[in-house]
Amino acid sequence: MRSHKTIAAGVLAAALASTLAACGSSSSSSSSGTTASASSNGASSVVPAGYQSTVNESLAGKRGGTLQVLQESDFEHLDPGISYFALDYTVVFATQRPLYSNEPNSTAPTPDIASGSPEVSANNETVTVHLKEGIHFSPPVNREVTSADVAYAIERGANPNVANPYLTTYFDSIEGVPQAKGGPIKGIETPNKHEIVFHLTEPKGFFVAEALVLPLTAPVPKEYAEKFDNNKPSNYADYEVATGPYMLENNAQGKVLGIGYVPGKSATLVRNPNWSDKTDFRPAYLNEIDIKIGGSQPVIDRQVLEGTNVVQNEPVAQPAVQLAAEHYKSQMVLSPGGGNRYVSLDNKVGPFSNIDLRKAVWAELDRAALDRARGGDLVATVASHFIYPTIPGFEQAGSLTGPKGLDYNEHPEGDMTIAEKYMKLAGYSSGKYTGSSTIQVVGASSPPEKEDAEIVNQALKSLGFNTKLTLVELATMYAKYCDVPKEEIDVCPTVGWIADFADPQTVLNPTFNGKSIVATGNVNYGQVNVPTLNAAMAAAEVVKGREARAKAWGKIDDEIVEDAAAIPYDWETSPRLEGSDVHGVGMLWNEGCWDYSFTSLK
Amino acid sequence: MSASEPLLRVEDLRVEFPGEDGVVYAVDGITYEVHSGRTLGIVGESGSGKTVSSLTTLGLTRRQGARISGRILFEGEDLVALPEDRLRAIRGNDIAMVFQDPLSSLHPLYRVGAQIVQAVRAHRDVSKAQARERAIELLGLVGIPDPARRIDEYPHEFSGGMRQRAMIAMALVNEPKLLIADEPTTALDVTVQAQILALMERLQRELGMAIVIITHDLGVVAEMADEIAVMYAGRIVETASTARLFSAPEHPYTWGLLKSIPRLDAPREEDLVPIPGTPPSLINRPPGCHFHPRCPYAQPDHARIDPRLEPVSDEPGHHVACLLEADVRRRLWAHLRAGGTPEQALAAVGLPGAPV
Amino acid sequence: MIRYIIRRLLWGVLLLIVVAALMFVLFRILPTGNPALLRAGRDPQPKLVKEIEVVLGLNKSLPTQFWDYLKEVFLHFKFGYSYYNQEEVRSLIAERLPATLSLTIGAALLWIVGGLGVGVISALRRHSLLDRFAMGTALVLISAPEFWLGLVFLYLFASDIGIVKILPGAGSYAGLTSDPWKWFTSLIMPWIVLASGSAAVFARLMRSSLGEAMKEDYIRTARAKGLPERHVARQGVRAAINPIVTLFGLEVGALLGGAILVEYVFNIPGIGELNYKAIQSSDFPVTQGTVLLASMFIILANIVVDVAYAYLDPRVRYS
Repeated sequence: MRSHKTIAAGVLAAALASTLAACGSSSSSSSSGTTASASSNGASSVVPAGYQSTVNESLAGKRGGTLQVLQESDFEHLDPGISYFALDYTVVFATQRPLYSNEPNSTAPTPDIASGSPEVSANNETVTVHLKEGIHFSPPVNREVTSADVAYAIERGANPNVANPYLTTYFDSIEGVPQAKGGPIKGIETPNKHEIVFHLTEPKGFFVAEALVLPLTAPVPKEYAEKFDNNKPSNYADYEVATGPYMLENNAQGKVLGIGYVPGKSATLVRNPNWSDKTDFRPAYLNEIDIKIGGSQPVIDRQVLEGTNVVQNEPVAQPAVQLAAEHYKSQMVLSPGGGNRYVSLDNKVGPFSNIDLRKAVWAELDRAALDRARGGDLVATVASHFIYPTIPGFEQAGSLTGPKGLDYNEHPEGDMTIAEKYMKLAGYSSGKYTGSSTIQVVGASSPPEKEDAEIVNQALKSLGFNTKLTLVELATMYAKYCDVPKEEIDVCPTVGWIADFADPQTVLNPTFNGKSIVATGNVNYGQVNVPTLNAAMAAAEVVKGREARAKAWGKIDDEIVEDAAAIPYDWETSPRLEGSDVHGVGMLWNEGCWDYSFTSLK
Repeated sequence: MSASEPLLRVEDLRVEFPGEDGVVYAVDGITYEVHSGRTLGIVGESGSGKTVSSLTTLGLTRRQGARISGRILFEGEDLVALPEDRLRAIRGNDIAMVFQDPLSSLHPLYRVGAQIVQAVRAHRDVSKAQARERAIELLGLVGIPDPARRIDEYPHEFSGGMRQRAMIAMALVNEPKLLIADEPTTALDVTVQAQILALMERLQRELGMAIVIITHDLGVVAEMADEIAVMYAGRIVETASTARLFSAPEHPYTWGLLKSIPRLDAPREEDLVPIPGTPPSLINRPPGCHFHPRCPYAQPDHARIDPRLEPVSDEPGHHVACLLEADVRRRLWAHLRAGGTPEQALAAVGLPGAPV
Repeated sequence: MIRYIIRRLLWGVLLLIVVAALMFVLFRILPTGNPALLRAGRDPQPKLVKEIEVVLGLNKSLPTQFWDYLKEVFLHFKFGYSYYNQEEVRSLIAERLPATLSLTIGAALLWIVGGLGVGVISALRRHSLLDRFAMGTALVLISAPEFWLGLVFLYLFASDIGIVKILPGAGSYAGLTSDPWKWFTSLIMPWIVLASGSAAVFARLMRSSLGEAMKEDYIRTARAKGLPERHVARQGVRAAINPIVTLFGLEVGALLGGAILVEYVFNIPGIGELNYKAIQSSDFPVTQGTVLLASMFIILANIVVDVAYAYLDPRVRYS
């Protein structure tokens, strides 16, 4: 999933009393199977003390009512076969039911269309999922969902007119997927109407099973959707049907565009008449959700804080976070698991191909200052490794403090003495860089990225480096500089990553595996390519069991830190605001966005 | 026949403009009269105050912050003391004015007819249609062909001469008793000049109005004026009937003006004699006689004494403001008239040379 | 005159084609431009990107794409589909045009009346207290950024977040036909914000233009005719207004392409907002459509202004 660009308003004063204590100790991990009860607490990673989970039935409000959502950005993709933005998920997961999904305060998968946990074969090459009975599509399709619908949902992801962004990354090991173009896939078998079997060419079954929480697996009726999928590009989203408690309002022909979704203006979710709470863990209190698109975030935040029956569902502008923390405490939720942020260093070319220089910068950098620039304790926690809270592997990698015994990682405010030690190890006896290279630093020109880039720049200078700091618009920073290996940018101070689903592989593999490096759109920003790391990751890919995977990837996280491949500094917390009479329930696994299927009015 | 009472009498008029560099003494105590049916010509160089004095008559200098003293009596009322709304009733009605450049003096974006109609309806309670009829009538009166069609044209569609005729038509539409014409022909060709002057004379006869014609061109006043006042540096230096001024002028400035006009009957070898120097600043004026720095015949005490306008001995209506003795002046003029230069005349009369 | 207008219109069409071509080139060379890359997710596989490019028609050569586009426009009057929701560009624009028109026309009326009114009074009462106050306020309004001014208004008067809750807040715009009263009240603050800067500029312009006009000879003649002062002033205004008409026409033309900031702050679903969002998400067809629309308005505004000028100043006609 991708975080949205924020329209942050500037650097703020130091932290206020936060509603969130520092990330507390770990809770128990869970096995890969979970029960389907509404009050399961399948969280296997750290949920900080103080984070309110309001899934408990007794805390819910009344049934009925209409919730207004004020939303600055428009949706990018509401087609379950394409969508990947956090904001899109707020609608997709209220209307579409994948094989597995997540309860609000959990990052472990819960069976949704599936009737139980996935069965992974001993050799890790076959995954079998049984489907619930009695789940129906919304009007105008109406009929019962079958395994063929799930198969088609995945197959259409390979159709260039749909072009699902995750198919290759997560499902390439299913036989026939690499060659698929939208037609039936050999490795997806539907022995009967309520069973689906995936045959893999590699022993990655467990991981593939975890990836089944992606909306790609939400059923799509082929006989209805085919004609839309033949258009270039597919416009199924304009006519999409639902399996969830809510649906995008449509007409008798199924048309959503202009009715349930008016691009740039509004979206309307109404109850799916064919949905039954007997087959779902969702309570679905609200009768209707009216999403109003447009406007500016600062105004929206104020309108929500002072309003009723209303929420916002995007990153909150900094001044509003402070305002809410001071005056509207009960109307703001700070959800951990907003992803990580780090300084990427070019490991391949330039001075930072030398590990000691990387450690020197790490030691010297004041990571607490970087976090203060981003809004302080409320929204940022100093990071000591890369897997962040709510993702399995967080504790295994060392929890808050990270791997032990690494002196450059032990002082979040920076320590010049240790930095100088590593400079000398790198061959600069004076403790300062005396080489001839000029360090290219590229950051974004909008706050708080701007401030962070400047802090990093200063740190480099104080170690004797000559730097050239370029500040450009955020999207340009990625598209033109940091995503492009050819540009050989030495330092990108404000890159970050957020998981596609709660498996640590999705945090570390795209960003630190040498095999992930591509010529454009490269998210292994530092071109990290350590053969032992690559091998460890290849091995960890095929590990079965959440515990075991958490352990394996936690270890890899530590090895990345030992390699000082990049400098982590922030584990983000996502704030969200609700009106005073709203019982908002947030998706821990989706940046804390309000879950419309669990939210109610007081 | 002119009435014995003057229509307009200007008495000791002074007009000063306070400015950044000092006070500008534009008009420095002038007195003159105009009678019905007769034409007064006011002659002078630029900066002599001739335009300011006539604008002040209509109260058009009040807005520029002028300090005005003296009296302007028109039909018994003192226009200097008159409140604005009373004055407005007189403007364009009893006293009308025609300006030098009709292209800039007519509004470029209104039709000619509309501008004349405005002039009518400002003072007469008539309908637009009636005013329009009157405008057409006047355009015909001033000699514009096909007036019913041309009335709807814009000023830039008229030729120079016709524009001036239209201005005159606009000024006369309410049958004013006095017409002030400020350089009415300066912007026109010579042939057209003659036509306009002839027109003005004809209209004067037909309507019996008085005319004040302001110009720097002696030829124009020779043609039109009955009496002439010569102005220099804000003062009147000489007034006389036209015939008298041209035959027996008394003021050295007037001599200079006359001597600088080419004459067909003068011998070819005779040089034109321009007046040396330039008009004085109206802020820092020369002490004593304002003309003395440029006067070939000035004597030392002329720089201390202010000359006053005094009658010339045997001629009623002829006044001059000069410190030279009368017979000295006559002898000087006789020499100049015979073709002598000022130096020759000086020598012949036996006056010491002027401090130039 | 008719021939003149037709000629200008034809040149206008040619100009629009040039604009469209420029847009095509610009999009391709902008680094954040590739919509296929955006569509392909956060970790874009090159193969996937290529596939998407084919689907979106981006793999064809630039001239081919451009030619296809022109054919669609001229033969079918179609401007393509949004990359994101497959809605037709022309219906997206048509939907939002009324809001932008409402905003622009209302603001234009306000600023013409307000700005010129203040300017005339200032010119006629030069250096008076009223004049100084008006010109001082004008300076503040010209300098105030629209976004900030909009926020200030909302925080003061919006019924949901303001201090004095008298006017509808951001996002309350309703179409004229669906709820006329709401339409009107929700536009009051946006009109004022949008008009304020322009009104101030026009006030200053009018003040100097009229000040100059009142010194002209024909004003002296008007007074010499004995006209009442207000008629004299009217003649001055008539002359002073010509350069202002030109500016007014051009400004309105530019605004019809969408007042982005005001639409954004007040959440008015107009062309400006559409344009801004489309640019952010590299939605070429929509951006192309909105830019062409804005260009068309400017071209039309230019033609209208030139024709109007000939109408207003008879001296121009024959040249």
